[in-house]
Amino acid sequence: MAFAESQNPLRVYRIPQSRYIDAVRWLSPVSPSDRFAAIAYFDADTNSPSIEIAYVDPNPQSSSPTLTPQSSWTSHSRISSLRTAHSTPQPLLAAATFSGSLHILASDLINGGVMESEATVSQLGFHSGPVSAVDLREGGTECVSVGEDGRVNLVSFVGDSSKLNYRRIFDSNGLVGYTAVKWASPSEFATGGYGFGIQWWDQRTPGGPVLQFKGNWCQGKTSGIVHSIDIHPSRKHTCLAGGSSGTIFAWDRRAAQQPIVLSGAGTGEASNSLLSESEVWEVQYDRYTRRSNIGNISSTRILPVMICSEDGILAVIEQGEEPLELLAEPCAINSFDIDRQNPSNVICSLEWESLAILTRS
Amino acid sequence: MPGVSSDSARGALVPLSPESPGAVVYPLRHGLKSPISRLSISWSRGNSLRVSVFAAPSSDGSVNDGDGGKVVEVKLGGGDGEISEAHWRRIAYGSVSPFALLQSRKNAVSTLSKMSMNSSPYDGDWWDYIMEYSKDINALLVNQKSASVPVLDDTKSVITKGEEPTSLKAAWELLEMFYAEKPSHSWLPERLVDWLADYDSLFSGTHPTVHSKLVDFQKEFVNLQVVEDDPKYWEVMSSALAVGWLNIVVKMLRLHGSYQLDQLSNRETENGLVEAVAVLISKMPRMRLEQEAGKLGECYKAKPDFVKAWEKWRGQINKLDSSAFWFQCAHQQTREGLRSMLQIMLGNANSLCSATYNWIELYISHFLYMRPLTVGLESMYSLAQKSIQLKPMASAHRLMGLIIGILGENTEVVLAECLKGFGPWMVAHAIELLTAGSDHAEMLLHEERQNLGGISIEELHRLVYAQVLSSFPLTWQIAPIYLISCMKHGMILLQILLSKQPVQDNQLLLKSIEICRLYELHSVTSNIMKIAGVHHWKHGRKGSGVFWLQQARDEYRLNRIALQLFDSVGKTISDESFKQWEGLIQLLGSDSKTAGGLEFLHKYRDFKKSLRQIHDGKATDPARQAVESLISLMKNPSTPQRFWLPLLYDSLKLLNWKERPLLNVSQTNLLLNKLQELSMARLRPDFIESELPPQALNSVRLALGTNLGRAILEE
Repeated sequence: MAFAESQNPLRVYRIPQSRYIDAVRWLSPVSPSDRFAAIAYFDADTNSPSIEIAYVDPNPQSSSPTLTPQSSWTSHSRISSLRTAHSTPQPLLAAATFSGSLHILASDLINGGVMESEATVSQLGFHSGPVSAVDLREGGTECVSVGEDGRVNLVSFVGDSSKLNYRRIFDSNGLVGYTAVKWASPSEFATGGYGFGIQWWDQRTPGGPVLQFKGNWCQGKTSGIVHSIDIHPSRKHTCLAGGSSGTIFAWDRRAAQQPIVLSGAGTGEASNSLLSESEVWEVQYDRYTRRSNIGNISSTRILPVMICSEDGILAVIEQGEEPLELLAEPCAINSFDIDRQNPSNVICSLEWESLAILTRS
Repeated sequence: MPGVSSDSARGALVPLSPESPGAVVYPLRHGLKSPISRLSISWSRGNSLRVSVFAAPSSDGSVNDGDGGKVVEVKLGGGDGEISEAHWRRIAYGSVSPFALLQSRKNAVSTLSKMSMNSSPYDGDWWDYIMEYSKDINALLVNQKSASVPVLDDTKSVITKGEEPTSLKAAWELLEMFYAEKPSHSWLPERLVDWLADYDSLFSGTHPTVHSKLVDFQKEFVNLQVVEDDPKYWEVMSSALAVGWLNIVVKMLRLHGSYQLDQLSNRETENGLVEAVAVLISKMPRMRLEQEAGKLGECYKAKPDFVKAWEKWRGQINKLDSSAFWFQCAHQQTREGLRSMLQIMLGNANSLCSATYNWIELYISHFLYMRPLTVGLESMYSLAQKSIQLKPMASAHRLMGLIIGILGENTEVVLAECLKGFGPWMVAHAIELLTAGSDHAEMLLHEERQNLGGISIEELHRLVYAQVLSSFPLTWQIAPIYLISCMKHGMILLQILLSKQPVQDNQLLLKSIEICRLYELHSVTSNIMKIAGVHHWKHGRKGSGVFWLQQARDEYRLNRIALQLFDSVGKTISDESFKQWEGLIQLLGSDSKTAGGLEFLHKYRDFKKSLRQIHDGKATDPARQAVESLISLMKNPSTPQRFWLPLLYDSLKLLNWKERPLLNVSQTNLLLNKLQELSMARLRPDFIESELPPQALNSVRLALGTNLGRAILEE
């Protein structure tokens, strides 16, 4: 396993938070030098969950970045999933909770990052039990939420109605549970769930998933759960997924039922090195690449992927290459986010109540 | 009722009159207006108590605000105030890696020493490992909040504040210097001098200290025009000199008025005396390994050199003391102040005693000016006893108890003081230092004791610390590191801990499973998977339930829930709901071993699929496939009996296929036999009648009969 070598200098700063971090996301900055992050906290001492917008000062005199809280929004339940839409200067946040509600928050970064709750869905019957994942559509007018209760809901928010209305796209009545969701296009999205299954949905074809990727491809070996899905805007035919037993795989919808396994379960051959044996909590395409043009990469090849795992690994994987380990922590890395505008910056949340900010140069 | 006082109507809970005189009564506000009828007290997270207060139902039956009950969480012990809960957790997280590293090195060393019988296990790198461990832990104890920046301009600030010291760090440094830095024992007095310089302020809260006097003086100092007229100036300098804060003393001396340019000419002698004392102080010989840059005093490593320098230095002091210049010094305060400082430097017991404020300061001043060559814990201990006699104290600071324990070489006392003063974290981690170099302590702490249930003191304290970690939702995950280092009870307690974790949330569940995987606790894994499976199933998340039970390979429960699933299948597998089932059936996979009785669902889905394709009654190929599925379903022992008739009824159009019979003779006979079996079974009382039209059985029988005839003809 290759570590970040000296030619690729990496600066890592760990910032203790004294609160558990449920999720962390970058917000799109107003100006190129600004960095804002949205952090979902859980204060175990007072039992209070909240979302805070913090200004991340990347290079103060003290040479390590500082977080300056800008504003805070108190939630009544812990945050199970947090997504941001990249619109300026008022980035939108979608926060789903363990009590089954969904909140749309708007933050005004110019006026001190004040965060306001735009709208809330918490009706009985929206989800029963926790919302396991939520995704905001780029441009931010629609939001899809899924749960282990088997419900797939579409929440549209246009205008400023404080009560949101949602549309039930599907309800499997608990027969199938969903644990991850990601928009692919304005009408299509992918969900993931138990047994490494992925479902492809198209709003134009209601009544159920359009395509299903069979979850039982790793027959005989331990199956698992998909924790995170990513879809690259230029490769909408491929769903990238990460889940149990260090499994990172891609499903090319054109290639039917055969997954492209980047790491973990079901690899079989020795050619794929095992990066981690524990849960892969999040996967994202790593837009930070030394190559000038990703267009040069063949469309069948999987683009570089960043992952974080329960055994404390943050790494970048490229198909057919040795994974590049960026962090090896003694505790779990529960979530991370790559800055869209400046992909050399990565923020991640560590199990032991701290944040880590990485700068690649 | 115990616990409820007669004035409970006033809205406060007060325990029964305390029998022990030391007990303190804390009223508990619960906000209930009506009288309390019942109390229930249970442990909540960590060291919180959950007190449930039930109000008596109002007599007239009306419902008022504040009726019913309230649950109040009571946090016991507000921590030690010095270190916040969050900081404690940060220390707990940070100490995991050093502890785990030291344990693995210990194991490696002990295996190595077993292989080569005669070499001592503790040499070579051993002290480096211990020191590395101690330094790593020490680094965690740095207080995050920085102390206030002195507002005085630099020339007038005599004490500079760095980080605010904590007793915990002070205690760890004591342990480090006495147990981890074994080879440096002859420098211990000087190490203690440095230690007091860093931590004297900690005693200020309970005792007067040199530090607090300095701080007080600094406040007045700003407003003083002529410092040397103030007796406090001299008092404070003598005190600082007594505990060896040479830099501060020299800096203060040079603030003496005689240094001012306009006064230099007429106070020449006075200034000369002040400067002579300042120079003597800055030349004080110290027996120590190294001196921090910028610190005054001359350091000597070898004893003979030091003794020579010491004699010479004292000779110079004596000479100055008896010089005639004192008579020419007109300023009385300066004369007296300087001469009393000389007495301190000469080691005058009375001067030292009056310049210091508690026994530790006196103790340190003895090291500096009376017995600089003190070596060995025994003589250090007797000197400490002497200091305590000279400056007895009503109450001892927790650090003082620890020092006495260490000097008295009493491991039990040290442990008890650590536990009393600093809690289970301290004991669990300090034991590593205590046992590092002392065979006696190692035997004492590693010996298995009957009164502790066959475990050693070391294991006991690790278990206690692990219990503390386990009781908090954020720290329970690091408890396993400490539990597995416990040979006797660790594994069992780890299994209990993991089995007790909540299973509702997937992320937490997977974190538990990950710990099971690390320690190869496969049976615990499958147990918690089963619990999770049943939990999800009960809450209507059938897919999640089936997944976890499959992961646990729990045939028994899968078969049980299969029966429940079939009930809903019989009603709901319509074309409409097919998409809902599709996902679950996919999840089951084709591997019948992990599917349990649910294997049936898989085949049933295939059968239904082919049936749907032959709506028109013409497509022969799908019809043949449907027959295949039907036969394999009917042959399979896992197909529940109550599905036989619905299956056959669904297949009526296959049996009555227009073109030609789809079932051959033997297949038809098989189905007829099943039908016969079914008819027999219907006589039994536990038979479940399917929801089919009453003529269903007859129409199936008729169709099978017709098919049999056609098949015989065809063959």
